[in-house]
Amino acid sequence: MSVSEATSPILETRGLRKAFGGHVVLEDVNLRFEPARLSAIIGPNGAGKTTCFNLLNGFLAPDRGRILFRGRDITPLAPEERARLGMCRSFQILNLFNDYTVLENVRVAVPAMRQRGSNLWTPAGAISEAEDKAARIIRLIGLAGREHVEAKYLSYGQRRLLEIGVTLAGEPEVLLLDEPTSGLGMRPMETLRDLVKRLSEDLTIVVIEHDMDFVLALSHHIAVLHRGMVIAEGPPEAIQNNAEVREAYLGRLKYARATQ
Amino acid sequence: MPGLAELVTQILNGFVLGLLYAIIALGFMLILGTMEVINFSHGLLFAWGGYLALTLQPYVGWWGALGLAPVGVGLLGLLMEFGVRRTYGRDPLFGLLFTFGAALALEELIRIFWGSRGYTITAPAFVAGPFRLGFLYYSKYRLLVVVLAILLLAFVWWFLEKTPYGAIIKAGAHDSEMVMALGINIGLMRNLVFGLGTAMAGIAGVVASPMWSLKPTVGAEALMPAFIIVVIGGIGSFWGAVAGGLLVGMASGLSNLVIPRGSILVMYLLMMVVLLWRPRGLMGQKSILEL
Amino acid sequence: MLGMFALFLFLPALMPFLGGYTYLGTEIMIWAIFALGYNLLLGYTGLPAFGHGAFFGMASYYLAISQRDWTSGLWIPLLVGIVGTTICGAVVALFVARKRGIYFSLLTIAFGVMFWFLVFVFEPWTGGEDGVTGISRLSVGLPGLFEISLRDNLAFYYFVYAFFVVATILLWRIVNSPFGQVIQAIKQSETRARALGYNTVRYKWAVFTVSCAFAGLAGGLYVLARFGAFHEPMSLHQSGNVVLMCLIGGGFASFYGPVLGVAVFLMLRDLFSTLTDHWMLLYGLLFMGIILFMPEGILGLIKRIRQPAAFHDTQAAEAARTEQTVTSAPSNPKPGGSS
Repeated sequence: MSVSEATSPILETRGLRKAFGGHVVLEDVNLRFEPARLSAIIGPNGAGKTTCFNLLNGFLAPDRGRILFRGRDITPLAPEERARLGMCRSFQILNLFNDYTVLENVRVAVPAMRQRGSNLWTPAGAISEAEDKAARIIRLIGLAGREHVEAKYLSYGQRRLLEIGVTLAGEPEVLLLDEPTSGLGMRPMETLRDLVKRLSEDLTIVVIEHDMDFVLALSHHIAVLHRGMVIAEGPPEAIQNNAEVREAYLGRLKYARATQ
Repeated sequence: MPGLAELVTQILNGFVLGLLYAIIALGFMLILGTMEVINFSHGLLFAWGGYLALTLQPYVGWWGALGLAPVGVGLLGLLMEFGVRRTYGRDPLFGLLFTFGAALALEELIRIFWGSRGYTITAPAFVAGPFRLGFLYYSKYRLLVVVLAILLLAFVWWFLEKTPYGAIIKAGAHDSEMVMALGINIGLMRNLVFGLGTAMAGIAGVVASPMWSLKPTVGAEALMPAFIIVVIGGIGSFWGAVAGGLLVGMASGLSNLVIPRGSILVMYLLMMVVLLWRPRGLMGQKSILEL
Repeated sequence: MLGMFALFLFLPALMPFLGGYTYLGTEIMIWAIFALGYNLLLGYTGLPAFGHGAFFGMASYYLAISQRDWTSGLWIPLLVGIVGTTICGAVVALFVARKRGIYFSLLTIAFGVMFWFLVFVFEPWTGGEDGVTGISRLSVGLPGLFEISLRDNLAFYYFVYAFFVVATILLWRIVNSPFGQVIQAIKQSETRARALGYNTVRYKWAVFTVSCAFAGLAGGLYVLARFGAFHEPMSLHQSGNVVLMCLIGGGFASFYGPVLGVAVFLMLRDLFSTLTDHWMLLYGLLFMGIILFMPEGILGLIKRIRQPAAFHDTQAAEAARTEQTVTSAPSNPKPGGSS
C-alpha cells in the first residue's frame, strides 16, 4: 500500500548532507514530497528536522546533495527566490513582525504587495488587492476582528495562527510548517487542524510535528528522521507498525495511545 | 627618487606607526569583539593617556608615568563600562552613542583641565637623540617604542591565548550565556575587558605623545585608523588587528614618500580592496555581527 | 502634518517671542530634511548608519565647486549636489547593504571618515581647512517675470520652506508606501522578510541611497545658507549629531520625531553655548543621559504613556496592561498619529 510513484514529486531532496563543525546533522537524506499531499517529518529532538527545513528553505546550504522543486535544481537559490517560486515556510520559533498589526503582518506577505515593493508613492493601504487577500487570510485563520491588534499583544495561540497566516498569504504551492501546533491550546488547535486539512486538498504541505494525533490523523505520508537519517518512510499505518520507529521514539510520544 | 636612507627611515617609521596602530586597534577590538560595543571614546582615552602622563611625569618620572597613566585611563574605562552596560542587549547603536557622548565629554574635560593648546612632548632624556644604524641615523626613542610595543603585544597575546582569563574572555565573546552558566561573573569580566582595552589606548597615548604633538584633537587621529584596521583585519582576531595595524601603518609610511596626503587614501583603498576580496576582513571570524 | 507646516509657515513671525531668530528656523528645516531622510534608514529600517554626515557635507562641496567652477547659478549646482551625493550613496550602499548591526555601523563609520579625509586630500578643490567660500545665493524666479533675491534671510527661509514641505510629503508617501512597509518589516525581522520573498539586500541598498538623496538636498541648502562649504558637517561629530537628533525626538517611535529632535537639539545648542564655553561637556553628558534614560525619545515617551488608550481590542488591552513591561527602544516605528 505504498504511495503511488506515478506522480513526480513536487519537492525532493537528493543525498542531502549537512554538518556543523564536526557534528553531522543530516546524512544522505532523500525525501520525496508528492503534490497535494500532506507529508510529515517526525523524529526525536535533535534528529535534524528543522535543519532539514532550513536547507529546503534556503537559509542553510547543504554540504552535499541537491534540492529539486518541480524538477528544477534550486540548491543555489536564496530563500527569497525560493519563496517567490512558491515554497513558503513557517517558523518553529515564532518569527512575526511584532510591532505590526495582524493586518500588516499578513498584508506584507501577500504577492500583490510584494510585487509593488519598489513603489514609493502609493499608500500601502490603498492597494485593494492586497487588503482583500489579507482580509481573507485573516478570516481563514480565525483572527477576524483582531486586524488592528499589534502582533506582540496577541495570545500565544493567536500568534501561532498568525504565523501560519503569514506563511499562507504568500500563496505558496508548497507549505512548510515547522511544529505548527507547538504549545497550542484546545481551541486554536482545532482551528489549525481544520485549516490544515482543508489546505492539504490543494496545496502540498510538509509538516514537522511532535503531536502524533495530528500527524496520524492528517498526513498521507510520513518520513521519520533519526540522528540525521531517514529511518522509515511511508503511510501512517506502516510507520505506526515500524519497529525501528518505535525504538527511536521509545517513551517520547503519545505512541501507545496512537496505536489503539 | 628618495635616497636609501630616506626609504629605510620611512619604512621604519611606518613600522613604528603600525605597531602603535596595532595596539590601539587591539584594545578597540577587544571591546568590540567581547561586548559588541564600538567604543567611540577610544581615541579620547588615547589622548587622556598622553595628558595624564604629561601631568604625572614631573612627579614619577617617565617610567612611572608610563605605568600609572594607563592605569588611570583603565579606571576611566571601568567607570564608563558601568554606563555602557545598560545598553547591552539593546540595539548596538546605543552603546555606540553612549561612548560617543562620552568622547565629547572627555574631550571637553581635556580642554578644561589642560587647555586647548597643544603640547610638544620631548622624549625622555635617556633615549634622546639619534641612534646610529650603519648608514642611518634613527631616533632612539622610536626604537624604544618598538621594543615596548612588541613587549606589550606579546603580553596581550600571552594573556589571551595562554591564561584562563583570556580563555574566558574569548568564550564570553562567543557565548556569554554559557560563560554565565559556568558560574563566571560575566559582569566583572566585561568590566575588566573594558578597562584593559582602554588601558591599551592609554599606553599608546603615553608612548605616542613625543611623536605626535599632544592636543585635544589627537584622539580623532588615533581613532579613525582603528576603524579601518578593524575592518581590514577582521573582528575577533588578535593577529587580524596586528596585521591590519602594521599594514595600515606601513602603507601610510611608504605612501608618504610618494604623495604626502596620499597615505590616507591608501588606507582606504586598502580597506575597499579587502572588503571586496574578503568581506569579513583578512582574518575575521564569522560572527553574528553581520549577515 | 498640516499643523507642522502651518507652524513653520508662521515661524518667522513667532520667532522673536520664542527667543529665536529666523536663521535658526532655516537651520531647523534644513537639518530636519536631513534627519527625516536619515530616519528612513535608522528608525524605519533599523540600520544604524553612523557616517551620514559625510553625505550631508559632500553635497555642500558638490554644489559649491560646481557653482564656482562650472556654472554660476542656483538650480544646476543644487542638482549636482543631490545627484552627486546620491551616486556616492549608492556606491557605498553596495558595500554595506549586506551587513547589519554593529558591523554595518562600523563600515558606515569607516566610509564616513574616508570621505571626510578626502576633503583634505583634494585640497586644491575643496580648500581643505578653509572650505569653499564666496558662494552666492543668487535669486530665484522666472527670468523676465520676477526675481526674488535670496540674500535676505527671510526670503531664504521661505525658499527652504518650500523644499521642506516637498521633502516631508515625499518622505511621508515613501514611509506609507509598499516600499515603506517592506523596510519596516526588514527592521522587525529580516529573516522573515526574506522568507516572504523579499530581496532584503536590495531594499537596504535602496533605502540607503534614498536617504543619501535627502542628505544631498539638505547639504545643498546648507551651503547656500552659510554661503560656503566647510568640512565640519562631514565629520563624525555631525553624524553623531544627526543620530542624536533623531533619537531625542523619538525617531523610532514616530515620523515626526526627527523634526522635533532637530528643533530641540539646535535650541539646546544655542542655549548651552550661551551658558558656558565648555558646552561640549554638557552636550556629551546629555547624549549619555538620553541613551541611558530616554532612548525612545520625547515622542516615544509620550506614546508609551498614552499607549493603553490607543487600543482597538479590549482583550488585548487588558493583556497588555497586565503583562506590559517597560519595553526598551526601539519600539513602534510607525508613522506617527496626528497631523
